[in-house]
Amino acid sequence: MTKQDYLLRKISLALFTILVVALVNFLLFRILPGDPVRAVIGRNVKISAEVQASLRQQFGLDKPVFPDQFLATMKQWASGNLGVSWSLRKPVSEILLSKLGNTLLLIGLGQVFSILLGILLGLLAGWKHKTGWDVAALTFSLVAWAMPTFWLGIILLAAGSAWLGLPTGGILSPQNVGKPLHTVLPDLAKHLVLPTLTLTILYLGEYMLIMRSSILEVLGEDYILTAKAKGLSQWQVLWRHGLKNAILPIVTMIALNLGFTVSGAIYIETVFSYDGLGKLFQTALTKQDYPLLQGAFLLLAVSVIFANLLADLLYTALDPRIKAN
Amino acid sequence: MRKLTLLALLLAALMLNACGSAPATSAPAEAPAEPVSLRVGWMGFPDTLNPAYAFLTESYTMFDLVYSTLMTESQDGSYVGLLAESRSVSEDGLTWTYKLRPNIQWHNGEALNAEQVAWNINAFIQNPDGWATNSGYVIGFTEARATDSNTLEIETEFPVSNMDYRVSFLYIVYPPDFEAFSTPEDLQNFTNFSPIGTGPFKMTVLDKDQRIILLDTNPNYFEGPAKIDQLVYQTFDNTDALVQALKVGDIDLSGEIPDSAFAAVSGFENVKAVSLPGRSLTELILNAAPEDHDPAPTRNPALQDPQVRLAIATALHKQDLVDVVLQGNGVSGVSIIPPTLGGGYWYNKNIQDVAFNLEEANRILEEAGYAKGTDGIREKDGIRLEMRLQYPSDQSNYPRAADMMANWLAEAGIKVTPEAVDPDSLVVATNPNADYDLVIWGWGSDPDPDFMLSVMTSEQYVEGGWSDSGYTNPAYDELYLAQQQMIDPAERQKAVWEMLEMVFNDRPYIVLWYGNILQAYRTDKFTNFLESPIGIDSFQSLLQVEAVP
Repeated sequence: MTKQDYLLRKISLALFTILVVALVNFLLFRILPGDPVRAVIGRNVKISAEVQASLRQQFGLDKPVFPDQFLATMKQWASGNLGVSWSLRKPVSEILLSKLGNTLLLIGLGQVFSILLGILLGLLAGWKHKTGWDVAALTFSLVAWAMPTFWLGIILLAAGSAWLGLPTGGILSPQNVGKPLHTVLPDLAKHLVLPTLTLTILYLGEYMLIMRSSILEVLGEDYILTAKAKGLSQWQVLWRHGLKNAILPIVTMIALNLGFTVSGAIYIETVFSYDGLGKLFQTALTKQDYPLLQGAFLLLAVSVIFANLLADLLYTALDPRIKAN
Repeated sequence: MRKLTLLALLLAALMLNACGSAPATSAPAEAPAEPVSLRVGWMGFPDTLNPAYAFLTESYTMFDLVYSTLMTESQDGSYVGLLAESRSVSEDGLTWTYKLRPNIQWHNGEALNAEQVAWNINAFIQNPDGWATNSGYVIGFTEARATDSNTLEIETEFPVSNMDYRVSFLYIVYPPDFEAFSTPEDLQNFTNFSPIGTGPFKMTVLDKDQRIILLDTNPNYFEGPAKIDQLVYQTFDNTDALVQALKVGDIDLSGEIPDSAFAAVSGFENVKAVSLPGRSLTELILNAAPEDHDPAPTRNPALQDPQVRLAIATALHKQDLVDVVLQGNGVSGVSIIPPTLGGGYWYNKNIQDVAFNLEEANRILEEAGYAKGTDGIREKDGIRLEMRLQYPSDQSNYPRAADMMANWLAEAGIKVTPEAVDPDSLVVATNPNADYDLVIWGWGSDPDPDFMLSVMTSEQYVEGGWSDSGYTNPAYDELYLAQQQMIDPAERQKAVWEMLEMVFNDRPYIVLWYGNILQAYRTDKFTNFLESPIGIDSFQSLLQVEAVP
């Protein structure tokens, strides 16, 4: 199989998966019990049954799911339109984009810190195998990995706001809203400290553990012995021959985690009142807002599938054994 | 290394995107030096500021601050004029005349006139599909007209008993903002995030991405400007963070302290926690759907026996529920109208509640022929007193209440199984499916009794209607329609009280408690809040609040 064939096959498979996910999503939300109109209006007191019926008609819910609702949705998607949210009354794509920036900023920072620290700590633990360093790093990682997100977030929030004067929530202080970015950067940074710290601690353990076991495996290989025999320094052995080979599993994991990034860190967003995609998914679900739900899950599916595709492609580029096959 | 640089660049770009997006409204106006700013923390955010399609209480909080209505509910539950200086009704009860206050200005400096108010009311009457949320308040209205620039007349097809209450929910919007929309959908998609009103505060910033709202005091407000300069609303997604923000002084006021945190908040330094009688009620719904309902009710048939319902009521220690579940922040419930409505005018004080007495509950059931089996569960003609006790899963204090109730009922020989159910499924189970036995649920009552009374009418037991018990009583239905047209309050009070007695005696609902509103504010920053059932965060309260010198 040529490289082009391989690529083409992977991409068409990804597109096919997205199509299947979109269809499943369409059906899945319509199986949910309850009435979307009632969910959107809540226990609101003054909406008569007639007005509810007119809203149902406006949303197309008065027509059968098959074929009418299904065809209408497919037609809309085919023209690149995700529809208008019933509860927020804005185009779904616009809503998703506005929250995507917030989520990527928070999760991106958390990922970068946890990846760097995780690799470093994992490397150190593997290198200093069976020493105090190793035990300390291992214990820390296991504890961090096992900690409930919500609990850790609340503890950091209480401690950080009471002792360090860090903000209790949000992205910017009210008085800075609407000001140019460069003037509010310190405020933005202050708001990001606690959620980023929480995310970093939570993800760190996972990266560190994988890195540690991966480097341990590599350090036992014959070519490491050869490198040492060639008289290379410990640092050169670790950097040139150890890390480069041990990093492969981490690359896969980063790519996969990035795919799930857009689903937002719903707990962290909730603890720190951070308005991102995770929170949006929750709202869409409680309001049974079909257009918003479909759009949000489509975005999630597309990101995960493309992250998988990316992992596949990166692997081909990084691992010569795969290239040879 | 190059990859890292790329990553850093990407992040910087995202930060620009996240922060640089302009808020929905114009930049904040030039503020005076060190404005007195009251910061409110709340658990939601208004999804729209368009009164045509607003369902969240947060939207209504903003409407109260930015817009005005003809009349409004005061702290004692009576109605007073807001835009209207005086109002009168013709002898036949069909024409209401409102004299507007002179010199009312829109936030843009233009003068308000009666034609604009008439335009609003006529739009609500003529386009109920578009003005969805307003439509319920103008049922029976035929026309509004301005007889001069300060006088408004509203014609109705029948005498409307609760006119003051109805117009207190009709927020008068600036017509040029709303005239252009031709379809209901276009009108409802308009989020109106830069509203122009006549209210005590002006919207300066509404940032839906940061979920922050800044409002400046309207210096030309017709009742005199507020004593603070600015109001700030900041959204929190969990109550722990909200409480912490109050503790460390990030916010000055919170209108929604959870039951479980109230005692802790009361102990905070420089914070005053207030527990005010509110308008909510929590009830036990007993499946009362008619036998010929379609689909046929699925329930324990013993629930149709009035003696079984009486025994259930006798076996519930409501005061204990208030003390344990609400930690004392409420009062035990009796009828479907809470004691705060109309300052107590609509609350039927003559109804004597059934006293908690497990022996009596056992005696009632014994006498009705339900004998205890070996397992302690009573049975009659093969019908065992075994029932489901369901409650919506989004309510944090219902599980505790359900467990306590299950224990009492078990002692009376009734076995109930508590179960949390997704609220959407519970709506369908109660109406239209009638597939339930007992359900714990609650209502936030309107200031007028009409809505709570409507919940018990048979007309509402249709898909999309508000009845969940399925209660059907032709005499009640008749009185309900009659009270809507009784202009004389005393006559209406008599009818309402009679209806409350019917519901109390027939027991489609056993009202468990009326919960208090729990709020708190920083005493080192602000003083002079108005403590009343409309809340310390009502616009009336915010108008009189002052900074601590």
